[in-house]
Amino acid sequence: MEEKREDSLQEVAAAGKGERRGGFLGEALFLARRHVVFLSLVAFIAVMPFWAKPLSKPLGIPLVMVMRLVGIYTIVAVGLNILMGYAGQISLGHGAFFGIGAYTSAILTVKAHFPPWLGIIMAVLVAIAFGFLVAPVLRLKGHYLAMATLGVGIVLFVFLREMTWLTGGNDGIRNIPPLSLPGMRIGEARDYLRAEYYFIWVIALIVLLLCSNLVRSRLGRAMRALHQSEVAAEVMGVNVSWEKIKVFVLSTALAGLAGGIFAHVQGYIDPNLFTIVLSIQLVTMVVVGGMESIWGAVAGAGLITFIPKIVEALPKWLGEVPRWVEKYSNYEGMVFGLILVLTMIFMPAGITRGLSDMVRYRRSPFVNPFRKKAME
Amino acid sequence: MNVARTAGGTEGGAPGFAPGEHLLAAESLTKTFGGLAAVKNVSFMVRKEAIKAIIGPNGAGKTTLYDLLTGIYEPDEGSVIFEEKSLLGLPPHRICAMGVARTFQTVRIFSQMTVQENVMVGLHKSTSSGMVGCSLRLPRARREEAWIAEEATRYLDLVGLEMQADSPAGSLPYGQQRLLEMARALATRPKLLLLDEPASGLNAYETRELGELIYRIRDMGITVLLVEHDMGLVMRISEEVLVLDYGEVIAEGTPEEVRNDPRVIEAYLGSELE
Ligand SMILES: Nc1ncnc2c1ncn2[C@@H]1O[C@H](COP(=O)(O)OP(=O)(O)OP(=O)(O)O)[C@@H](O)[C@H]1O
Ligand SMILES: [Mg+2]
Repeated sequence: MEEKREDSLQEVAAAGKGERRGGFLGEALFLARRHVVFLSLVAFIAVMPFWAKPLSKPLGIPLVMVMRLVGIYTIVAVGLNILMGYAGQISLGHGAFFGIGAYTSAILTVKAHFPPWLGIIMAVLVAIAFGFLVAPVLRLKGHYLAMATLGVGIVLFVFLREMTWLTGGNDGIRNIPPLSLPGMRIGEARDYLRAEYYFIWVIALIVLLLCSNLVRSRLGRAMRALHQSEVAAEVMGVNVSWEKIKVFVLSTALAGLAGGIFAHVQGYIDPNLFTIVLSIQLVTMVVVGGMESIWGAVAGAGLITFIPKIVEALPKWLGEVPRWVEKYSNYEGMVFGLILVLTMIFMPAGITRGLSDMVRYRRSPFVNPFRKKAME
Repeated sequence: MNVARTAGGTEGGAPGFAPGEHLLAAESLTKTFGGLAAVKNVSFMVRKEAIKAIIGPNGAGKTTLYDLLTGIYEPDEGSVIFEEKSLLGLPPHRICAMGVARTFQTVRIFSQMTVQENVMVGLHKSTSSGMVGCSLRLPRARREEAWIAEEATRYLDLVGLEMQADSPAGSLPYGQQRLLEMARALATRPKLLLLDEPASGLNAYETRELGELIYRIRDMGITVLLVEHDMGLVMRISEEVLVLDYGEVIAEGTPEEVRNDPRVIEAYLGSELE
C-alpha cells in the first residue's frame, strides 16, 4: 500500500495549500473559500423540494422521498469514507451497525415508548458501544480485516433474526412512530416528507461539515499517515491502534445515527434490510464517490440510491421494457457488485475526483487498466 | 540543554562510563529471527550530546538494533535504559514520546501527503485536540493547528526543504526524501535521533552538507546515533564508533582506534576503511 498512483500526486499538492491564519476575518474567509462546495450543497438542498414537486411526476421518481434516503446514506457513507478512504481500514460490516442503530431506536420507541429523538440518541450510543466491542478486529489487516468485518455483519444478522423476543425475528418491528418535527400536519403526507427531508439533511450537512474539519486536523493527518505506513506513523508518535479504534467507532456512531433515523422514516424494519447486501451497497457508495473524499460520500450515496429508482421508473419513461428490467430488484446485488468492480478498475479515484481532475488537469477520468505501469 | 556531568555511579556501566553522563544504555541485546541471531549480546552506551556511529558490513544487524531500540521488535534478551528508564516492552509511540526518534533505511515517508504535512505528523504527539475540538475547530484546536504549521516550517527550514513544503512528498528525489524523514523525526522533538544510512543516495557535496546538518542537530542538544556506510562521513563527524559484525560488537572506540583495530580491518577486508 505504500506506493500508490503517481498521477494522484497532483491533488496532494493542491490539497496541501491548507491552513492559513489571521484573526476573525481571516478565519471567515478561510471557511468561505474552503466551503464553496459545502455552501453550494446547502443551497441545492434548501431549494430542491421546490422544483422537485413539478419534476417528480413526469420523472416517475418521488424526488424528495428519495433524497431523504440519500441524506441518510450520506451520513453512513461519510463515516465509512473516513474509515476506509482516509484511515485505510476496510469494513464490510457497516450495514450491521446501521441495523443496530435502527433496531435500538425502533425497540426503544415501540416497546419502551421513548420519544424518537431519544431513541436516535440511544441508537448512536449503542452503536458506539458495539463499535468498541468489535474494534479488536482492527488488529487484522487487509483481507483478514475484510473477512472479519464481514463476519460481524453475518453474526448480527443471525442475532436479529433469532432473538425473536427482542427483535420480532423475521417479522421485524412494525408501527415505528414517525419523527415529530415542526411543520408536520397530521394527514398531510407531503408536509411530512418535506419536514423529514429537511431534518435529515440538516443533520447530514452538519456531519459533513464536522467531518471535513476533522480530516483536515491533526487527527485526519494521523489517519492518513497510518494508512500509508503504520510503522512510520507509530514511530513518529502516533498511537496507531488507538487512532484506528477512534475512527472506527466514529464510523459506527454515524452508522448508528443514520440507522436510528432510518427506522423512523421507514416505519417498519426487519433483518433482511441489514444484510451483507447493504454493507456492500455502502462500500460501493464510498468507492464510487471516491476514497479520501468527504464530498465523494454524498455523490456516491446519491448515485447508488438513485440507480434503483431510475430503473423502477424506466417502464414509465419507455413504456415497454424487457422482463429482466422489471425484475431488476432480483439483480440489485449483482448490479452494485458490478459497479463496484468496474469503478475500481476504470475509475479508482471515484467520480468526484475523476471529474474534478478532468476539469482541473484536463485528464481523462478513466484509467486504462491494460496500460503497463512504468518500470521502477 | 544543559547537562550536569556527574561523576561516579557504579551500577551496570562499562568501565570508564558514568551512568549520569549517558542518555542510552543497551545491555546484552539479542534478537533472533528463526535461528539466525541478527543481534547477539550487544551492549553499548551513548553519551549525552554525542555523535556516535554504528558501522558494520551488510547484514551486521544495525537496522535490527534500531528496531529494538525503537520498539518495533522486542529483544529476546537484554535491556534498554533511556534516561534511567527502561524502554523494554513499550510500544514505539511511547518510546517516541520519551524522546527517541529515527529515520528509516528504506524511506517510509507518507508519499501521498505534502512535505509539510509529513513533518506535521511528527508534531502530532506534541498536541492534544480531540475529535470534538478538531471537528468543531474550537479555538484551541485552531491555535494548535497554526502552531503545528509554523513549527513544521521551522523544521523544513532546518533541513532546507522549505521551498518544497506544498509538494507531494512522493515527488521528491530520493536524497530529499531522506532529509524529509530527518525533519519529520526532529519534529517529534527527540533527545536521541537514530539515523539509518542518511547519506545513501547523496553525492559528495550533499554528503558534506549532511555532515553540517548533523552537527547543527547535535548543537540543538540532540544526541545522534548514525548508521552509515560512508566511512568518510563516519570518520569525520563521529566521536565514537561501534562496530558490529554478524550481530556482535567487534570493536568500540574513537574513529582512530576503530580504524586500526585488526578485527575491524578483517571484517571489512581492509579495503573500505582507507
Ligand atoms: N524481519 C526479519 N526477518 C528475518 N530476518 C531478518 C529480519 N530483519 C533482518 N533480518 C536478518 O537479520 C540480519 C541483520 O539485518 P539488518 O537489516 O539489521 O542488517 P544491517 O546491518 O542493517 O544491514 P545493511 O547494512 O544491509 O542495512 C540479516 O541477516 C537479515 O537478513
Ligand atoms: Mg540496515
